[in-house]
Amino acid sequence: MAGWREVVAVVVGGAIGTGMRLTLDIVFPHTDTGFPVSTLSVNVVGSFVLGTLITTLWRRSSTPNWVKVGLGTGVVGSFTTFSALIVSLLGEVSRGLWMLALLYLLLSLVLGFGAAMLGVSVGRWPRSTPPALDRVDE
Amino acid sequence: MNLAVVAVVLVAGALGALARYAISLAFVRATRFPRAVLVVNVAGSLLGGAVLALTDWGVVDSTVSLILVTGIAGGLTTFSTWSVETLQFVLSGRWRTAVANVIINLVLGLGAATAAYFVVYWALLLRQN
Repeated sequence: MAGWREVVAVVVGGAIGTGMRLTLDIVFPHTDTGFPVSTLSVNVVGSFVLGTLITTLWRRSSTPNWVKVGLGTGVVGSFTTFSALIVSLLGEVSRGLWMLALLYLLLSLVLGFGAAMLGVSVGRWPRSTPPALDRVDE
Repeated sequence: MNLAVVAVVLVAGALGALARYAISLAFVRATRFPRAVLVVNVAGSLLGGAVLALTDWGVVDSTVSLILVTGIAGGLTTFSTWSVETLQFVLSGRWRTAVANVIINLVLGLGAATAAYFVVYWALLLRQN
């Protein structure tokens, strides 16, 4: 449950994750008609990292809950974004850039979900344990 | 962009994350469908669509947009939990839930953003006339 450690961890982690995403937005700026490289990158990297975390750190009984909440929900959860993907798709479609929107959506799904799979595989290697069904958020 | 704006965006992102955490606790694992992520992603997309319309009208400037979209909506929504939870359904053989999780998030997210965009856009148009 949510103790003060979890609340502090998610707030601090949320600020760190947002800061890293903001930094990438500034370093790789994109126009309304350009390809959102920064958002695609954070979602792919974040999916990989969370996939690795739930199969390594999360599986250790010694890992405190606030660490999971701070890293998973806080840092990685705030680093990645769903709304930026949706807003970019809406902006692209409203400007008639259907091919760009389709490409962006497909790349986000294929690379994002592929990265999550890769992260889980890396985290489980070389063990061949059954599929991880740990709670992602807690 | 000055440091004060960066600080406000970070605080906004932290508050978004805290709201996401609170919602994840409200929806315990008892259900078969990950509703917590769906709720935050649809809510954040709704906010994003509304702010996009406000920006197109010039009602809010790029700084306010940055705080609301990159900060609040960006911190509230998440891609990583969505992708990893979907993968967990796939790995446990629950393909239908996995596919439904992808489609429902996308359809409701895009729907909410589009609806919010047009509601705000037309409201401003009516107010102007």
